[in-house]
Amino acid sequence: MLSRVAESLFWMSRYFERAENTARFLDVNFNLLLDLNKITHIENPSYWVALILVTSDKERFNSLYDEYSARTVTDYLVFNKSNPNSITSCIGLARENARSIIESISSEMWEQVNNLYHYLQNVTPQFVQNDPYGFYKEIKNASHLFQGITDNTFSHNEGWDFIQIAKYLERTDNIARLIDVKYHMLLSEAQSQPELVAGSEDIIQWMAVLKSCSALEAFRKVYLSKIDPDNILRFLILDRTFPRSINFSVCAAEDALWRISGSSRHRYVNNADRLIGKLEAELSYTAIEDIFSKGLHHYLEDLEQRLVKVGEQVHLTYFAYHTPEIESSDIEEALPFTGVAGGRANWSQAQQHQQQQ
Amino acid sequence: MIRFFERYEAETSQFFDEVISKEGTPRPHYDKMLHRFSQFSTDDIKARREIVNIFFRNQGITFTVYGEEEGVERLFPFDLIPRVVPADEWQTIEKGLTQRITALNAFLHDIYHGQKILKDKIIPAELILGSQHFRREFVGVNPPLGIYIHVTGSDIIRDGQGNYLVLEDNLRTPSGVSYMLQNRQAMKRAFPVLFDKYKIRPIENYPQELLRTLQEIGPVSRREPNVVVLTPGIYNSAYFEHSFLARQMGVELTEGKDLVVNNNKVYTRTTRGLERVDVIYRRVDDAYLDPLVFRPDSKLGVAGLVNAYRKGNVTLANAIGCGVADDKVIYSFVPKIIKYYLGEDPILQNVPTWLASNPSDLKYILANLSSLVVKAANESGGYGMLIGPESTIEQQENFAEMIVANPRNYIAQPTISLSRHPSFFNDTELFGCHIDLRPYVLYGKTVTIVPGGLTRVALKRGSLVVNSSQGGGSKDTWVVDE
Repeated sequence: MLSRVAESLFWMSRYFERAENTARFLDVNFNLLLDLNKITHIENPSYWVALILVTSDKERFNSLYDEYSARTVTDYLVFNKSNPNSITSCIGLARENARSIIESISSEMWEQVNNLYHYLQNVTPQFVQNDPYGFYKEIKNASHLFQGITDNTFSHNEGWDFIQIAKYLERTDNIARLIDVKYHMLLSEAQSQPELVAGSEDIIQWMAVLKSCSALEAFRKVYLSKIDPDNILRFLILDRTFPRSINFSVCAAEDALWRISGSSRHRYVNNADRLIGKLEAELSYTAIEDIFSKGLHHYLEDLEQRLVKVGEQVHLTYFAYHTPEIESSDIEEALPFTGVAGGRANWSQAQQHQQQQ
Repeated sequence: MIRFFERYEAETSQFFDEVISKEGTPRPHYDKMLHRFSQFSTDDIKARREIVNIFFRNQGITFTVYGEEEGVERLFPFDLIPRVVPADEWQTIEKGLTQRITALNAFLHDIYHGQKILKDKIIPAELILGSQHFRREFVGVNPPLGIYIHVTGSDIIRDGQGNYLVLEDNLRTPSGVSYMLQNRQAMKRAFPVLFDKYKIRPIENYPQELLRTLQEIGPVSRREPNVVVLTPGIYNSAYFEHSFLARQMGVELTEGKDLVVNNNKVYTRTTRGLERVDVIYRRVDDAYLDPLVFRPDSKLGVAGLVNAYRKGNVTLANAIGCGVADDKVIYSFVPKIIKYYLGEDPILQNVPTWLASNPSDLKYILANLSSLVVKAANESGGYGMLIGPESTIEQQENFAEMIVANPRNYIAQPTISLSRHPSFFNDTELFGCHIDLRPYVLYGKTVTIVPGGLTRVALKRGSLVVNSSQGGGSKDTWVVDE
């Protein structure tokens, strides 16, 4: 498979997953605030700032808006085109990547990306405000439909594996961020209002975290007795069977990487395999107490950085347009790691416009 | 009177109408179609229009207009009434194009070898040697089978009497063949009932024919040549077509950065290392192919590609340097070229052409700017032209200056009133819109022309420009056997 095609499959999948996760965050936040409307109101900025922290681009947000509110955060995360992580941007980028490999994906996959893209072109802020539940459900369903179409119309070979790697790396990253931010928020609240943390609001918040991962029901089946933060973290980080847990996602990414390279346990052939294998092995032998003794925040931060490293190695191993045996190493550094719509495509845009006869 | 035609004005005194004869009656090969259309209501037409739009949109058949806001994609306008070409007329076109392309290929071979035609003074040598598309570096290079122009798309028009004339030979990277194929698909979805009355020759095998042609021209030493398509990238207006053809042929679509040259051999970069490439169907202009030989700033090309080509390790379709033969100045010599190489009279005529480089022609052109069409010799896509009758005095003066400054670069032709074909306007009324025809010619071991082509329609009322970049659309084209 062409490296460029593999790379575009990767980014198409990754942006799609990112859009779904953003929809999940927003959806749950709305529900959470409705649950909490006795003690706070829907415009309470501290509940909205958390969403910006999850996507970790506070500076860009602050340069565009004056306040954290349902309206501004929704606008930023759903519509804003200068936010590369907004749902509209992500789907635009997923489509752009799909378009650049339209001959390699199934036409059903293309139609699904294209349909969602055109659907989003017609959605207004008013529409989202009137029916946030319906809108976010539409996005989540579109993503599930895309995954189902992919699984059922696209050969499960190397290309499909790149799609899986991207999906699970992105998902792991998002879960880690979500837990990190929620934990951080609850901790600072605990210091300022100790009476709240012990109370039902705390539980409601943690339930919201579970819900945004569609994990509440699955969690209930494992931990019948009590919703407490330790169990929730144990479930979201270490559970090996739930598809939106960190451990599950890392295993799935590892499987896909190993299928591509033919690696196996105890025998890796490239750095991407080695790093993901190491991460998976550690997760398998980690107890929640180990995480607390290291400090949850540090643990998650470290995890996020290691995911970035895995991504870099996937890029160098499979996508980089650089063949060391042929080109001397003084050629320009590997191009930015952003897929088709990032820095790479635009530089040649003007030349691509050559007139065809 | 037939429905939709009650208010149709064929204006046969001024134009050749494809459907209505001078006597005001439908031409026989349109009889059955008009009968069918008369059974449709306006709502039927609207419903079918919707089917077609959804088909095109879902397939991603859009094109990008340069100079507009980035990311503006439009549906390629499509007219619902197909054009019908009777078998005997098609036979003339087929024979005429085969003759023309064979002669032009012989011409290119001569220009890049002995240059006999220049020595015999059939064509002034300075016109060739001074052409910006003449590639001196390729004199003496032997492409497999001696073929330079593997894929061409000549533009054919009809004059007031209905004679088929060649307007342009596009010998470099002609586009539009995917629209020809998709238009047929769209018609089958929207009007299956029209298809049972006609014996329409199929065109669906074009991608297979193209692949066969490309395989035939592979380097002699390579048994099963690996073919790839080379595109400038997703921002090119014809990107859809590049990916469509790659998919239909089942070959890789590559961009310049996917290819690498080592030891004068070309490879694709894959997730499993390098793979050898034998034939490149390239949709990138000569100038961008190889930054080491042509434009050094090209980001679309492959460093070392030209040397690999000269060594015969890879075949490019079309060959480098074909532009020298589809220049609008050389165009005026094509009848002589046919005579010179084949000893035959041309089956398809040219449009009369005046060359600004010829002093007496120049005088005539300058005196008649308001009635002529002036074209820059090396532009395509409807850019760089002056349509005399539609131009302002100021535009004419601008062109006069440019022509005098660089006469080699300009030609002029009479304003031909292209034939007209009824086309739907708002799905309710029919207007006569000007059309042309672009059949696609493949040249491998033999010359193959898939029966049909892209009929382009100037959907702006009265406009003569059919290029998609200038608001033109297209319609399905049927070659029918009785």
